[in-house]
Amino acid sequence: MEIKYTIQGLLIYAAIAAYVSAFVVTLLRCRKVGEVLYLLGFVTACFAFGYRWHHVRHVPLQNLFEVFLCMGMVVYPLSHFCGRILRVGGRCADMLIGAIVLFPAGFVFSAQPRHLPPALQSWVFAPHVAVYVLSYIFMAKATFQAGCQLAARGDNSDEKLPGPEEGTYRMICAGFPLLTLGLILGSYWGKLAWGDCWGWDPKELWSLAPWLVYVGYFHFRYMFGNKHPRINSMWAIAGMAVIVITLLWANLSELFSGLHSYAM
Amino acid sequence: MNRLRRALMWAGLIAIILLIFLSIYGAFVGAERAKSFFNSLPLSVYWLVLTVVLIGGVAAFRRLVRVPSLLLIHLGCILILVGSMWGSEAGHKLQERFWGIDKIPEGEMVIFEGALENRVILENSKLTKELPFTLRLKDFRIEYYEYLHIQDIQSRAGQRWKVPVKINTEFSLGPGVGTVTIVRAFENFKIKIEGDKRIAYDAPGPGYNPALEVEIKHPDGTVTRQYAFERFRGHIHAEEKFVLRYQRVISDYISELEVIKNNKVVAKKDIEVNHPLHFGGYHFYQHSYDAPLGRFTILMVVSDSGLNIVYAGFLLLCIGVFWQLWLRRLSLTGAKVKERIDGN
Repeated sequence: MEIKYTIQGLLIYAAIAAYVSAFVVTLLRCRKVGEVLYLLGFVTACFAFGYRWHHVRHVPLQNLFEVFLCMGMVVYPLSHFCGRILRVGGRCADMLIGAIVLFPAGFVFSAQPRHLPPALQSWVFAPHVAVYVLSYIFMAKATFQAGCQLAARGDNSDEKLPGPEEGTYRMICAGFPLLTLGLILGSYWGKLAWGDCWGWDPKELWSLAPWLVYVGYFHFRYMFGNKHPRINSMWAIAGMAVIVITLLWANLSELFSGLHSYAM
Repeated sequence: MNRLRRALMWAGLIAIILLIFLSIYGAFVGAERAKSFFNSLPLSVYWLVLTVVLIGGVAAFRRLVRVPSLLLIHLGCILILVGSMWGSEAGHKLQERFWGIDKIPEGEMVIFEGALENRVILENSKLTKELPFTLRLKDFRIEYYEYLHIQDIQSRAGQRWKVPVKINTEFSLGPGVGTVTIVRAFENFKIKIEGDKRIAYDAPGPGYNPALEVEIKHPDGTVTRQYAFERFRGHIHAEEKFVLRYQRVISDYISELEVIKNNKVVAKKDIEVNHPLHFGGYHFYQHSYDAPLGRFTILMVVSDSGLNIVYAGFLLLCIGVFWQLWLRRLSLTGAKVKERIDGN
């Protein structure tokens, strides 16, 4: 546990507080106040990200602190995109997701600025990490929808929105291309930096696993359609579980040390 | 036919599930063992079966041909698998046996500054093979970040401070401890003795001994001088109160290369991490170097066989996935929802 008594830390804590307040207030059915607090949390997270960028003088996506900070920022626009364009609910849960992803940045990972090592000085660095960040948020939303499906309830009473099984599918449809792009960019970058598109590094193998789980989900859903909605949801939840392992365990554990160790 | 399709779908699903577990297993055994595991004979059979299932799927499911995005996705996967197999060590052996293409799959080159070299030390052996052209290393250099070269200071009581290297700027270590000022930075620290005095100086010419001269003002007003060496970390004399560590942060490794063929320079490139040289069917990567003195560079040499096929696969897969899921699936569902709302 690392409490940050810095401007950076304060901005993160303010964003967490705003997201949590938005969640609680929305649960208490004060939707408008919840929306204002949610927006406030987003603006604060943007400031925190911008401040970090200014401080380290490169796109702040180098380590887990910066990745979680970025996730905390993109939750709000993705939440809007999913609600307005994809017509998938779960806005209240998004507020909680925002707070959850900012928590490790605020309390777990060190904010010590570091120079980019030579391997990270590539044009692929920012898009590779950014598309993963976006896809992880989509997949987190898919997991929430899948959880609702397993709990056999919709997350809201809006009849215009699809059910959680369809919601899960749409979220995975939105996130999977980004996950694929992240994997391909990583592979291309591996070729540029280390000479191999695929080095069989533990992090690479862990990042292949969730991609394969979602490939399995699509094939299973194609084979059986909505006949086994619970199994469809289990695939989605399994995908997220492997993503969490890829993001945290594979990065932090010495068991999986390899070429990607600088992500810590 | 339906039975065949069902069998292919199940085969595909089982292959995917198997690969999920194999990937997780591979992550636990480490990169080296995972590489040999995934290149072993049983796994080669697996890759072959997976490719056949994919090709069979494209042939058996008319939908995969009718829907271009789905076709691109599956063709992309096939190309990635075929390109990777073609570029693998076994692929190179087959190319040599059946088509007489004699290429080095992967190896290393050690080149001294100013020297010419065409021998490649093969991976996993001490054998060497020659390239049909020669490389000359004009210069190898390491670049460092200008600021934030950290000097780590530790008192004998265990207190630690990190001080940025800014010449002639005084840093307080806190009340009752004193201040430090870095007065000089050396690239190649040497000592000479003039009379009874020891004089530190930066020696010109070859040599590598980066160091800092640090002035420490103690709370009682006394001033002492200490040296912090990058190559001799934690160097301390008995009478000194602080352990100093000097560590610069590397920003880049650069090998200036020339490619020589028939006594003519046919290509030039300063290779860095992320900026390899591509020539004659090989990629040359900055891999390692002579750590203490920087007299030579170590390049990794990798054959480019199959790479364009893999890249074509990446492109098709990417286009196919975005087309199918974003343009077809999500835009279709969006349109349906809009229709429903309008209907209501």
